[in-house]
Amino acid sequence: MTIHRSIGLIWRWPALLAALSIFGLLSALLGQTGVWLPLSWVALAAPLAVAAICIGRSRG
Amino acid sequence: MSEQAAFDERAYERKPALRRWLFVHKWSSLVCSLFLLLICITGLPLVLRDEIDGLLDDALPYAQVAAGAPNVSLDRVVEASRKLYPGETVISVFVDDDEPKIMVYMASSWEAFKANRRSLHSIRFDAHTGDVLKQTKPFGEDGLTFLQLMLTLHRDLFAGLAGELFLGAMALLFIAAIVSGIAIYGQFMRKLDFGTVRASRSRRLKWLDLHNLLGVVTLGWALVVGATGVINELSTPLFALWQQTDVRAMLAPLQGKPVPQTSELFSPQAAYDAVRTAFPDMITTSVVYPGAPFGSPFHYVVWTKGKEPLTSRLFSPVLVDARSGVLASAITMPWYLRALELSRPLHFGDYGGMPLKIIWVLLDLVTIFVLGSGLYIWFARSRATKTQQRSAAVLPLPSPGAAE
Repeated sequence: MTIHRSIGLIWRWPALLAALSIFGLLSALLGQTGVWLPLSWVALAAPLAVAAICIGRSRG
Repeated sequence: MSEQAAFDERAYERKPALRRWLFVHKWSSLVCSLFLLLICITGLPLVLRDEIDGLLDDALPYAQVAAGAPNVSLDRVVEASRKLYPGETVISVFVDDDEPKIMVYMASSWEAFKANRRSLHSIRFDAHTGDVLKQTKPFGEDGLTFLQLMLTLHRDLFAGLAGELFLGAMALLFIAAIVSGIAIYGQFMRKLDFGTVRASRSRRLKWLDLHNLLGVVTLGWALVVGATGVINELSTPLFALWQQTDVRAMLAPLQGKPVPQTSELFSPQAAYDAVRTAFPDMITTSVVYPGAPFGSPFHYVVWTKGKEPLTSRLFSPVLVDARSGVLASAITMPWYLRALELSRPLHFGDYGGMPLKIIWVLLDLVTIFVLGSGLYIWFARSRATKTQQRSAAVLPLPSPGAAE
């Protein structure tokens, strides 16, 4: 029997990554100095990292 | 594809709302995907255009000067430009705040420029010495540079405004594909954990999972770049709208008065200085000559921008009487042009240093994969359906093992 996942569970990761992406896009635009730029890089790289980990797992 | 997977997919397609979303997703993607692939591929070098430009630039180097050395007068570079191209019209003068350069843009006449915006050519001066560092020919006359080719394919497919609007519509379809993709994803993932890639069952299933995973993790970025792409493609009509409304209203009192001739023009340096003195908190970037399509026949339009990270993206024009050099008025930009200005960095990805550009390139590559895998899934599906129809004719009864 298949367990159906709730909307919250389905969207937990995608919503977090989308929020991080938007944060990253804005933090570099509004900040441009100090910690805001590196924060933007980390936030925008998060979707790439998560995808890479998922793909890596499927192989291992 | 395994029978179970095929059955699952058909079962989940039975819901009418979902079928509609699938229809939207399929057709919006199919229509736009080839153009979007072209846009994504040509966008790759454009992200790095400053770096590529720097590598390919054959201009003379800037003179080494003491720190704080003053710029040469704009009057002098304009005069030098007119001597180089006698009889031509100066369109605008741009003073870079990043590198010590002053650009003078010229065309054979305002009529020629209005008929074809690409008839513009430029002369680059050293801002400190006033020496000519580089001259370009009008767009395409010397063959297109690599970046010009990429930009034209990316923006208008060599079709001018029609091409801009067409590619803008393709970007809208891309957004429709993302939104419908979100709706489908929620249903599709009810039986799967986030990030599942079923690599061992069939190639199509693996690509479907990769398409879903990579599409969903990049959707925030893709929506922003897609939406800002649409806004950028609307820049010509948006500026035209502004010219027809705000600018026209402001110039209405001057309607019918004689337009200043080149010989009557006041010093551009004086116009530049007048604005700099009146707006000390702004950076003055360029002086557009009277007669420009988005401007005034009676005034220099001096463009200024702010000094803060955000305000440095927002440009505000100031009108200076072209005959007297007297500051006439500062123009408030309407919201839609402000939105356009903010759309530029968010689309280009050029505002957060090299790491941001590299991330932009990687996200662009992921988008190319999502588009390509989408096409593959559709193609493999239609082949699978045909095969099924053929085998269904031989074996009319569904396999009992496929029931859920």
